[in-house]
Amino acid sequence: MTDYLLIQALNGLVIGVIYAVIAAGLTVIFSILKIVNFAHGEVYMMGGYFAYFAISLVGIPPLPAVLVAMMLSFAMSVLIERTLLKPLYSPTTERKGDYGILITFGISIFLRALALIIYGPYPLRPPSFWPGVLVVGGLIMTWDRVFAGGAGVAMLIALVLFMNHTPWGEALNAVSQSRESAAIVGINDQRFYMLAFGLGGALAGGAGALVGPIYSLSPSMGLLPDTQAFAIVILGGMGSVAGSIIAGLMIGVSESMFVALFPDPSRSLTYAQAFSLLILMLVLLIRPTGLLGRAHVAMD
Amino acid sequence: MRTLAFGAVVVFGAFALAFPFLVNGYWLSVGVLAMFYAIVAASWALLAGYAGQFSFGHMAFVSLGAYTSGLLVKWFDIPIPLGMLAGVLMCGVVGSGIGFVCLRMRGPYLALFTVAFSEVLRIVIVSENEVTGGSGGLEVTPLFHARTDTPYYYLGLALLLGSLAIMQFLVTSRWGLFFRSIRENEDAAAASGVKVVRFRILAFAITSSFAGLAGGFYGHYIGILTPDIGSVDQMGLVVAMAVIGGTESIVAAMIGALGLEFLVEALRSYGQWRLVLFGALLLLTIRFARNGLLALAWQQVMRLGSRRRTRSIGQEAG
Repeated sequence: MTDYLLIQALNGLVIGVIYAVIAAGLTVIFSILKIVNFAHGEVYMMGGYFAYFAISLVGIPPLPAVLVAMMLSFAMSVLIERTLLKPLYSPTTERKGDYGILITFGISIFLRALALIIYGPYPLRPPSFWPGVLVVGGLIMTWDRVFAGGAGVAMLIALVLFMNHTPWGEALNAVSQSRESAAIVGINDQRFYMLAFGLGGALAGGAGALVGPIYSLSPSMGLLPDTQAFAIVILGGMGSVAGSIIAGLMIGVSESMFVALFPDPSRSLTYAQAFSLLILMLVLLIRPTGLLGRAHVAMD
Repeated sequence: MRTLAFGAVVVFGAFALAFPFLVNGYWLSVGVLAMFYAIVAASWALLAGYAGQFSFGHMAFVSLGAYTSGLLVKWFDIPIPLGMLAGVLMCGVVGSGIGFVCLRMRGPYLALFTVAFSEVLRIVIVSENEVTGGSGGLEVTPLFHARTDTPYYYLGLALLLGSLAIMQFLVTSRWGLFFRSIRENEDAAAASGVKVVRFRILAFAITSSFAGLAGGFYGHYIGILTPDIGSVDQMGLVVAMAVIGGTESIVAAMIGALGLEFLVEALRSYGQWRLVLFGALLLLTIRFARNGLLALAWQQVMRLGSRRRTRSIGQEAG
């Protein structure tokens, strides 16, 4: 039993890292563009398929395929941002918040419908990054999960380094604090909206590519991770990348513990899906500013 | 312009009354579903467009109303109209509850909360399959024992017109003004003496009740209820209907729903491409015509009319 719980905890940790990557992308978008991106889960889904087709059609090996998926997700997000999100920056747009909700919800519907046509409703499973399992003592874990967890951690470290130690990251931070002041010191904010939305999309797409071999790909795979990511972002504090990472790990582990300890095994999997949703509802009710919320990125 | 609008109403009214005698059984059933979607889209427009509360849980209330009525009729054998009434009351009560807990939330937070609520409800219905039938569906007693859908059609039409009359009365009354003032600026509304708390909860309770009414009608018409009715994809369809028609007018949202439902069926041979098409249409509408395509079309008609009038005035003067 303890071995089983430990394996579940480790699995939860890996999934938590993936959640944290998705949530960190959502956070980057939120803190710069000040919108909650309802289409984030669909970019994650698209990333998974990009990797799948890079492997099966073009013949790229599984590991570089993750990078290809991230680049394609970046490009797709920039395209979406340039064509559909521009009214968010225009002073003549009324009720920008409502516009952001509606347009991203519309994008999510559109991408899901498109995926259903192009990829079909049946689940696809890309080849493993690394076949086989890792056995340490009584613990068993597939190499795919180990790899996904490791790559996810690498992405998170790269993101934190980028945000804190490069001029572009600092400029992003400046725009997130005040658009006007950033413009005064000569930061072209349009370019950074583009960068932020693309970066968020690339993280979601990378996460999708990583989970492909673990779960399978399907057009509706983005629905749940999306709400999970929202729960994490709000629990971690809107706009705080570090908070998202901590909350992602917390939710991943507690979710798999919930599955392991739920009294009725026939229902544990379906109720596990409700688990993160209930956490999201509770956080919204009790502590909407999250664990590490920063005042200046609070939503109006 | 007045006479034009009046004429249009008369023509459409006559067409709506004669509809069951003009079409075959398949299109009649499309007509019944169109009535259902029209009530749902119009009530969502009242909640989102007028009151400014972007709830993505509206289909959850449809599902709640439908399952409440279906289960009560099935397990306790109560008359169907009473079951539907219970569904409406249930949605009103739960809707007030959701409205109450959402008081502190605005914009995207409320949208997220309602998405989560609707998914939790769907998961509970799927999981508790001993009571609800789960994903396999719940058999619901039909309302009429007729061979055709004609009685459903006229009931649907009556429900739609009744709901529309009540909602239109609401939005043109002082309450409509309160709803819009809260949407534009909650603090300013409160400062001007609008009871923000009361009207935010009322908006939720009223629109959820209409969703429950539509749900009860749908359940007893369709005969087999599945949890999919409360899914995010169904919500997307209703949002598309209301937004393409126009969320700032209840009639426009209703027309959008009727139009889109018939278009969905007319383009059936295009299969899944229809959904992509509607998704694209939805995005274009939000991006370029936020008040909906009907408002845009109406503006063009008005502009044409006024241009003709100025030209004729010019000719008289010349």
